[in-house]
Amino acid sequence: MSPKNKFLWWVIVSIGFVLIVFVSMVWLFWQPLPPNEKALLIQVFKANFGYLFTIAFLVFAVLGLTLDWFFRFYIIPLGQLADEASLMCSVNPGHRVNIDGGKDVIRLSRIINQNAERYQEIKNNIREKIERAKADVESEKNIFAGLLSELPEGVLICNARGRIILYNRRAKEVLGENHPEGLSDKPGERRQSDRYVGLGRTVYEIIDKNLIEHALNEIHMKLERKSPNAASFFVMVSRNHALIKVEAVPVLDHERIFSGFILIFRDITEKLQRDREVNNQLRSLTKNMRASVSSIRSAAELLLEYPGMEAEQLQSFHAIVHDEARDLSELLNNQWFDYSSFIKTQWPLVTLTTGDFIQTITRRAKETLGVTIDLLHCDCEESIKIDNYSLLLSMLFVLHHLKEEVQVDHFNCTLNRKGGYAVLDFGWRGEPIRLDTLRKWENMILKVGEDMIPLTLKDVVGHHDAEIWTYSDREKNGFSYFRLSLPVHDIPASEQIRQLAILSESRPEFYDFDLFNQAGQTSELDNQPLSELSYTVFDTETTGLNPQGGDEIISIGAVRIVNGRILRDEKFDQLVNPQRELSWESIKFHQIQPEALKGQPTIDQVLPAFHRFVGNTVLVAHNAAFDMRMLQMKERTTGIRFINPVLDTLLLSAVVHPIHQSHNLESATHRMGIKVVGRHTALGDAWTTAELFLKLIRLLGNKGIYTLKEAREASQKTYYARLRY
Amino acid sequence: MPHKVLVVEDEPNILIPIRFLLEKNGYEVMAVENGETVMEALSSFSPDLVLLDIMLPQMDGFEVCQVIRNHPEWREVKIVFLTAMGRDMDISKGMSMGGDGYITKPFSNAEVIECVKDLLSDEPQK
Repeated sequence: MSPKNKFLWWVIVSIGFVLIVFVSMVWLFWQPLPPNEKALLIQVFKANFGYLFTIAFLVFAVLGLTLDWFFRFYIIPLGQLADEASLMCSVNPGHRVNIDGGKDVIRLSRIINQNAERYQEIKNNIREKIERAKADVESEKNIFAGLLSELPEGVLICNARGRIILYNRRAKEVLGENHPEGLSDKPGERRQSDRYVGLGRTVYEIIDKNLIEHALNEIHMKLERKSPNAASFFVMVSRNHALIKVEAVPVLDHERIFSGFILIFRDITEKLQRDREVNNQLRSLTKNMRASVSSIRSAAELLLEYPGMEAEQLQSFHAIVHDEARDLSELLNNQWFDYSSFIKTQWPLVTLTTGDFIQTITRRAKETLGVTIDLLHCDCEESIKIDNYSLLLSMLFVLHHLKEEVQVDHFNCTLNRKGGYAVLDFGWRGEPIRLDTLRKWENMILKVGEDMIPLTLKDVVGHHDAEIWTYSDREKNGFSYFRLSLPVHDIPASEQIRQLAILSESRPEFYDFDLFNQAGQTSELDNQPLSELSYTVFDTETTGLNPQGGDEIISIGAVRIVNGRILRDEKFDQLVNPQRELSWESIKFHQIQPEALKGQPTIDQVLPAFHRFVGNTVLVAHNAAFDMRMLQMKERTTGIRFINPVLDTLLLSAVVHPIHQSHNLESATHRMGIKVVGRHTALGDAWTTAELFLKLIRLLGNKGIYTLKEAREASQKTYYARLRY
Repeated sequence: MPHKVLVVEDEPNILIPIRFLLEKNGYEVMAVENGETVMEALSSFSPDLVLLDIMLPQMDGFEVCQVIRNHPEWREVKIVFLTAMGRDMDISKGMSMGGDGYITKPFSNAEVIECVKDLLSDEPQK
């Protein structure tokens, strides 16, 4: 409704209301009157109609003008005020109310404008901080991405549901994303181009889900057992037919809950091929050498044993010795021995106990093949190095074919250690499998149900340096066996263990990129913004409160602040043997018993370490003058001098809240809403002081104090700065 | 009648001395150079013992061993592997598949004769 219509509506309603009231009153007054008085009144009304009409007109005119004024100075401006305030809160924070109206309306406008100014200022501050934080994060992200892209391995980082949250270029290359074969458009065939590595895409589109699930199951099993090496390995074939070794490493959050995993890819095709060639050469070399030496030895022994043999025989043995010796020389002159260092294959093998391995086979055989395995004996604690997935699939493959070949779905099983080997036997009543049948199986691609890897049984057995065969035990009631003989791995302690990736409660702190952008020289620190400096916030516990009277430090605790964050992983916490008695009063205060200090290092041992921890950071302490004095007292005996700039949170608290009387740590932290933990331990107090300091930096900014120099100068002006110890 | 020994070996320079050695020790010797011809030799020669190389062309020594052990007439023939495969796992494989002895190359003549003699000492001469 327009203001004009609104006004007319108000006028009509007002006049109507006044008329109704007037007529009602006249009627109430008129009714009880006797007829003679009514006639008299009519006569008076008629005689004075002109006056009465003029009065009524004036009353209504005044009423209209009052309404008009009220509308123009209150009703309309209030509506405008509401609209404009709404505008400021929504699309145009820079808009200001400028309305002509009643005195109260103008006052209200002024208040709204003031609040809008403050609101906009806060909003700008917040935006600025967000922008700065975003820029920092972006910078760190760029450096991290740069580092990641330079890694020789492909890396994919996925969340717990398998969505890719980070990857590097090498991962794309290793997975063969740029290979021309990745662009199949045959009808009915899934376009490989749909399976690009990309943020937010699922890793299961790139890597066979069975492989990853198997690896994750293994990881979960190891995590449950608190195994120090929870990584899992498997081998996959990329779309350009390269053999890729994949290491899956779990990522745990700060509560050690599985929150994702990292896949690290290495292309091992060439390496494996080369190793295979070297292995073949060495096998051939060994065979030939053994044969030659055998011939020479046998012939030589016969020559010695039968000196009177016939001339023709004698000559043939001489020829054998000569020929074999020549062949041996040629063998040794070849370069084969240079390859001996490569004999260890790079097939990714992980250490597992035989018990775990047989347990997995038993479970999977039941689930996948409906085959039951009765474990009669197990040397379950032996360590074996295997590619869990491919070897498990090999055993399932063998059981599957055995089941079909011998029509048996129940096998006895033993797992024994024999010499340097773990010997796994699956037994059944009946004839053994013919070796030529086994040869046929050996050359088949491994596939059991949905599980498949493009390798043959022979490949997998060969990579494990293992051997398989079948035999029948002639003395044991007609039982036949399939045997896998696998080398036992006895030196797990020397294995390289992949550390678990455990995220701290906040951001990870194992890298600190802004250290590259440090201000540099100490002389420049003064003009640096407080929020950009690095600090060591520390506290000491002492035998008493008299540094000059011989009281000693018994504990030093410190934390670091870098880029406005307390680094949880960088702390200094050391008890110190004061080499003197502790007073009862001090024990009551800090709760450190004399027994706890026995055997602890002395201050001359601790201070150099603390000095190194501090480095060139700014020192911060609550009531720093006391702690600095304690440190200063040891300068002569230890030769350690702390020349770092110092800030005192007690003084800064006084700068920020000058009208408050108390600025001790309890009062200051209570005012700031900081939860105090570990009070009166050096590390606990240092931590609390650090939290207080971070809040003080923000409040100092409100007072126009931004740099180290300004903070120090403001501190010097407070009353507390005049106190001396 | 002397004991009969069948030598299955594809290396002539090993075969010649072994044959000489065995003959000098009073054994009747027949030699073949691959696994395929072993069956024929077993039928015609009826050996008491087979000295069997493992890495043979075509059919390897383990397969030959399995065939011998599965044949009702040859089940009792002694089998001694004479091979360059010297890992514990290979020895275990050979013995579990039905070998009676396992000699790794390089070997001494005495070792071979001792093994053959031991295995044939209880065997009646044909």
